[in-house]
Amino acid sequence: MAERDTSRDIDRAASNWTARLDRGPLTPNEEDAFQTWLRADARSRGALMRAQALSMMSESAQALGPHFDPVAFEASRRPRFAGLSRRQALTWTGGAAAAASLVALGVALPAAGAVVSTRRGEIRLVPLKDGSTVLLNTESRVRVKYDDGQRCVTLLQGEAYFSVARDERRPFVVEVDGRRLRTAQAAFRVRKLDADPVDVLVNEGQVDLAVEGRTAAPLALKANTRLILSDAVGGAVEHPQPIAPEAVTRELAWREGKLAFEGETLKQAAETFARYSDTRIQIRDPDLAREPVTGLFAANDPVGFGRAIAHVFDAKLTQDGDAIVLTRRAAAE
Amino acid sequence: MSGADRERTRWFLRNILPHESALRGWLSRRPLPGVDADDVIQEAYSILAELETVEGIRYPRAYLFQVARSVITRHVRRARIVPIHSVDDLERLEHGDDAPSPEQHTIDRDELRQLARAIAAMPVKTREAFILRRVKDLPQREIAARMRISENTVETHISRGVLFLIDWFGRGGNKRSQTSKTLEAEIAGIDGRARHQSRH
Repeated sequence: MAERDTSRDIDRAASNWTARLDRGPLTPNEEDAFQTWLRADARSRGALMRAQALSMMSESAQALGPHFDPVAFEASRRPRFAGLSRRQALTWTGGAAAAASLVALGVALPAAGAVVSTRRGEIRLVPLKDGSTVLLNTESRVRVKYDDGQRCVTLLQGEAYFSVARDERRPFVVEVDGRRLRTAQAAFRVRKLDADPVDVLVNEGQVDLAVEGRTAAPLALKANTRLILSDAVGGAVEHPQPIAPEAVTRELAWREGKLAFEGETLKQAAETFARYSDTRIQIRDPDLAREPVTGLFAANDPVGFGRAIAHVFDAKLTQDGDAIVLTRRAAAE
Repeated sequence: MSGADRERTRWFLRNILPHESALRGWLSRRPLPGVDADDVIQEAYSILAELETVEGIRYPRAYLFQVARSVITRHVRRARIVPIHSVDDLERLEHGDDAPSPEQHTIDRDELRQLARAIAAMPVKTREAFILRRVKDLPQREIAARMRISENTVETHISRGVLFLIDWFGRGGNKRSQTSKTLEAEIAGIDGRARHQSRH
């Protein structure tokens, strides 16, 4: 028997059909395919109605007027990020104009290199003078050093997303733990956390990893691949792994101030939240700690996360100073 | 969509969708083995979509819960072995319904702001296409010309936008965060790779 589609698969197909129907009339062949899809599963018709209802609901967006600026709505829920003023928050939410104002402020680049860092819970967009940008995640530090030969950024700690403007003459090089990632144009994430090996994720373009002490060609990392660097230089053989575009989006959700989980344990999710806030999530019950978590959460709102978890897993939430404590109801009684 | 379909969809949007998070909460609190809340919700919606008329439905929320219950009953009966406790659970479900919700009519007030936030949170290109389609009401063909992308790409962006709204409003139950124990089945379908790789 063929594997049954998940409700998520059905929702995805329903969205596709909704968009197709929104585009214009179906061809006879498409009509056949559409009817076949509707009949194939008892959930299809319901999923389609929900997708169309939400599509219909979004028509009320017209009430937002022709000058609707989504950035304003992004910004309205951002300022709670620690260490980020409203002005900075607005800048960070992007938009060319906002980014340009940061360029005007300028990042001074002394010969030794400028160090830029973020505090816990802070996200910072660092525009560079060639048009490239570095987005620093929480508790991260980079050193930027540009010269005529190359554009070099060293990731000293944390996590950064590099959007590299094309310059064939002057390669963009990211140094991390003595390794060199080099590109002419790409968008990629590099993460260096104390506990884990360095993790590189390429979103767009291509990044070449120099292979030290060998004559071999550099290792090419293409879009939608990920590479975990081995600790010892020249140690274990490193293989880039392909990664699904949805997984890339999840991995990079922090750029929008969010954390995406898909089946991580509650314990792992709590550890992730700990990177972004002084508020700690403690899970007293080992079974509860192993429960898988799926969803998109605001990185700066561990309490909201805790509440959602308490609701779904029927757990009890108590706040104890800077800690949020989750216990199973049964265990608590 | 035909006129009748559109009417049904509008009825669904106003009278049923606002209760989805309550239904999901109810289904998720003590999940039945082998019964996935999201499957039940979709199947219940299918039944509502196929009703000849919805005119006689005075309490849509209660009706939705009743339909969901019938879906569960059918699933449990279809399973070859009915675990004894799921029979108890079915009886328990009989008492799980709530009275029609009084806040039903206050949802609109917040809806537009929620919608603006949802759109704002979409990936940039999808957001651009979606705003042109929904806020500025341009046809997909015109959006393709304006964004200098193919019509197929516009369609893909619109599809992603709709899926985004399903996640935002549907699965998330009118809040930004969403989580679901009932998605376990879906998660189990993803191989171990995703589990281990999606550390942050």
